[in-house]
Amino acid sequence: MYSLQGIGKSFGGIDVLRDISLTLKPGQRLGITGANGVGKSTLINIATGFLKPDSGHIQLNNKTLTHQPAWAFAQAGIQRTFQNTRFLTTANLGEQLLLAARAPESKRRLTKLIELSGLQASLHLFPDEIPLPMLRKAEVIRGLAASPEVLFLDEPSAGLTTFELDQFGVFLQQNLGQKTALVVVEHRFDFMLMITDSVVEMQLNRGLVKRGADVKT
Amino acid sequence: MDMYLASVLTNMTLIAFLALSAYLVLVVGEVSFGQQAFFGIGAYITASATALAGAHIFWGLLAGAIGGASCALLLGLLTIRLSGIYFAISTLCFAELLRFFLLHLRFTQSVDGRIIGPDGPEGFSNIRWIFENHYQVTDFLLLAVTCLIILLIVLFSLERSPIMLGARMVGNDPILAQSQGLNPTRYRLSFITLSGAVAGFGGGLFALFNTHIEPAMFGVMLGIHGLAYAVIGGLGSAVGPLLGVFLDIGLLESIRPLAAYRMIIFGGLVAFLLVFRPEGIISPRLVSRLKSRWRNRHV
Amino acid sequence: MDMLQTSIDGLMIGSTYALLGLSFALVFGIMRRINLAFGACLLFGASLAIYLEPILGWGAWGLFVVTIVGVALASAYVERLCFAPHSKRHGAVTAMVASFAVWMQLDEISSQLLPQRTHAFQGIEVPNFWWGEIFVRGDQLLHFVIALVSILVLYLLLYKTRLGLLIRATADSPDTAHLLGARVPWLGFIIFLLAGILGGLAAFMILSADGYVTPLFGLWSTFKGLIAMIIGGVGSLMGAVIGGLILGLVETHAGAVLGAEFRDMVTFGLVFLVLIIRPGGLMGVKIYRTDSLAQERV
Repeated sequence: MYSLQGIGKSFGGIDVLRDISLTLKPGQRLGITGANGVGKSTLINIATGFLKPDSGHIQLNNKTLTHQPAWAFAQAGIQRTFQNTRFLTTANLGEQLLLAARAPESKRRLTKLIELSGLQASLHLFPDEIPLPMLRKAEVIRGLAASPEVLFLDEPSAGLTTFELDQFGVFLQQNLGQKTALVVVEHRFDFMLMITDSVVEMQLNRGLVKRGADVKT
Repeated sequence: MDMYLASVLTNMTLIAFLALSAYLVLVVGEVSFGQQAFFGIGAYITASATALAGAHIFWGLLAGAIGGASCALLLGLLTIRLSGIYFAISTLCFAELLRFFLLHLRFTQSVDGRIIGPDGPEGFSNIRWIFENHYQVTDFLLLAVTCLIILLIVLFSLERSPIMLGARMVGNDPILAQSQGLNPTRYRLSFITLSGAVAGFGGGLFALFNTHIEPAMFGVMLGIHGLAYAVIGGLGSAVGPLLGVFLDIGLLESIRPLAAYRMIIFGGLVAFLLVFRPEGIISPRLVSRLKSRWRNRHV
Repeated sequence: MDMLQTSIDGLMIGSTYALLGLSFALVFGIMRRINLAFGACLLFGASLAIYLEPILGWGAWGLFVVTIVGVALASAYVERLCFAPHSKRHGAVTAMVASFAVWMQLDEISSQLLPQRTHAFQGIEVPNFWWGEIFVRGDQLLHFVIALVSILVLYLLLYKTRLGLLIRATADSPDTAHLLGARVPWLGFIIFLLAGILGGLAAFMILSADGYVTPLFGLWSTFKGLIAMIIGGVGSLMGAVIGGLILGLVETHAGAVLGAEFRDMVTFGLVFLVLIIRPGGLMGVKIYRTDSLAQERV
C-alpha cells in the first residue's frame, strides 16, 4: 500500500501542487493525465523522492518516506522511468541492467525479462546506439527487475509511433506481475485505456479528478 | 639493471599510486587538486613509524595508508555538500593547509647519534630503512612494483563487481544513480577515503625510497601531475593512469636529448590528444566495448 | 595609524588581485570553465616582454605593451587549444586538464626565454609621497587608478554595449540565448582575450611593483586569482573585485600581525571556510544555487 497524503509544493511563491492525495493498492494500475504545466512532472518527482514536498506525507506499507532521500525511495521499492530515458552512455546496456538486479532472484527475473523483450542482441551496445523503443523497454525492465512495489512511468509514449507504443503496452501488461502497482503519467488516452484500470486528470489548483466515464470497467 | 633505469622505473611506480588515487576520485565525478597532501601525510607517517618508532615496514606502510585515508575522510566529510569547482578548490586549500602543518611540524629525536624526525621546512632526513635492510635500488623497485600489482588486483576485482559501475554512475549521473537505489554520498565518501589510502601508501613508499622528505615536495604541482596522468590515460580502467604516468615520465623523461623541451612537447601533446580523445586514451566506452568483445569470443 | 597604513597597502595590492580575480570570474561566470594556465599566460607575457626589451628598447612602456599583448595572445592560444574543443557541458574537467598541460608548456617556454631565476622588471616611475602620516607609493597609487579604470571599462563594455548584452544573455542561459539567436560567434575567444588583457595589466602592475620576475609568478597569480574569485563568489564579477580587495587586506593584515609565513595559511584557511560555510562566497550565492539546482533537476 503506497499513499500520498495532502501533498503541496510551490515554486517561487506559486502553488504548483495543492493538497494532492493518492492511494495505490498492490497491482493497481492508475493513469494520470492533464494539460501541460499542471504539475504532473512535479508530482512524479515528489512521489519518487527527487523533490521534497512542502507539505504532506508519503507512505509505503505504513513506513513514512516523506523526508528520505531519493535513493531510499528506490531501495524501498519505488521505481521510475524518465521522460527521455536515462542511461549511462559510457557502459553497455547489459552491465547497466545487471546493476539494477543485485539479488539472485532479481537476476533470474531480469534474464527472463530480457528474453521476453528481445533485447539480448542489444546487450553489448551502448544506450546511444539502441533505438528508442528498445530503450523504453530496457528502462521498464530495469525498473521491474527487483519486483518493485510501485513503478512510475513518465510519458512513456513520447517519441514512439502508435505501433511501437502498442507493442510496449502489451509487453508491459504481460510482465508487470500481480504485486507491482503502476502509475502512468501520459497524454495518450488510448494507451492509458489499454494498460490502466482507472484514470485521473490533474487540473490546475483542483488536484486529481476522476475521469470515471471514460474509463473501462 | 642500470641504476638510472631502475630509479626512473621506481619513480614511475610511486607516482602511479598518486595517479591511481586521483583516478578513484575522478571515478565518482569529482576533481581533486589535493591528493599530494595525502601522499605527503603517508610519507611522514611511514617515515616516523619506521625511523622513529622502529616499526616493521608493513606496519609503517599500513599506518601511512590509514593516515592518508583518515585525512581524506575528514576532507570528504567537511566538503560533503560541495561538488565541481567548489570541491576542487576546497581540496586545494585543504592540501595547502596540511602542507603548512607539515612545514611547522617539529619532532626530532636522537637515534643512534643521528638527529631524525620531522624538522619544519628542513623536512625529515635520515629515513634509513633502505640502508638498514640493505636494499638495492632494484630490490626496492621489486617491492614497489609488487605493491602496485597487489593494488591493481584489488582495483580490478572492484572493477568487475557492481561497485565500480555504481561509482561511475554516481559520477556521471547522480540522479540516475539515486533512481537505482545508490547512495551518492556514501559512494563519494568511500572512494575519497580509498583514494586517500592509496595516496598515503604510495607516499610511504616514496619516503622509504627517497630517504629524505620535505613539505616542499608535496606542493600542488605534484597533485596536478597525478590528476593529469589519470585524465590523459583515461577513466575506463585502472590501467589508464598507469599509461599516463608512462607517457610522461617513461617516454619523455627518458629521451634525454628532448629533456629541456620535454614540457613544451608533452604539454602540447596532451592538450592535442584531449581534443581527439576527451575521455582519455583508455576511455570507459573503449573498455566496455573490449570487455563485451572478449566475452563474445570466449562464450 | 599602523592599522590604517596596512589597510591602505592592502587595498593597493588588493586592486591588482581584483583584476586577477576578474579574469577568472569572466571565464567562469560566462563559460563555467577554469583556466589553470592563466598564471602561465601571465608569466609568458612578462617573459616575452623582458626578452624583447633589449631588442625594442622602449623601456617601461615597451614592457607594458608587450606584456599585455603577450598575455592576450597566450590566452587566445589556450582558448583555441584547450577550451574551444571542449565546449560541451561535460567538457569542464577535460578542458581544465588540457589547460594544465598548456601551463606546463608555457612555463617551459618562459624559462627558455628567461634562463635565470630572477629578472629585473622595470616599472613606470612615479614619485612616492606622504599623505599626512601615511606613506603612499606613487606607482601603487597609479596601479590602483589603472585597476579602477579598467574595471569601469569592463563594466561599460558588459552593461552598456550590445556585445555585452549578448554576453550576459549567454552567461545567464546558454540554451535560451542560442534559441533566441543571440549567439556570439567566437564568444569564448572574446572572453579569453578580455581576460588576457586584464591579466596582462595585472601582471605588469604586480611585477613592476615587485621589480622582478621569477618562474613562480605563474602559479602564484593563478592562486591569487582563484582565491579572489572564490571569496567574492564564484563567477560574480562584482564579487571578484570585492574578493580581490578583501584578499589584499587579509594578506597584509595577517602578514603584519602573524608574520609573513602565516600569511598564506590564513588565506587558504579563509577560502576553505568560505567554501564550507557559504560556497557562493559573498556575491555568488545566486550562481551557486542555480548551478546546484541545475544538477539536481530530473
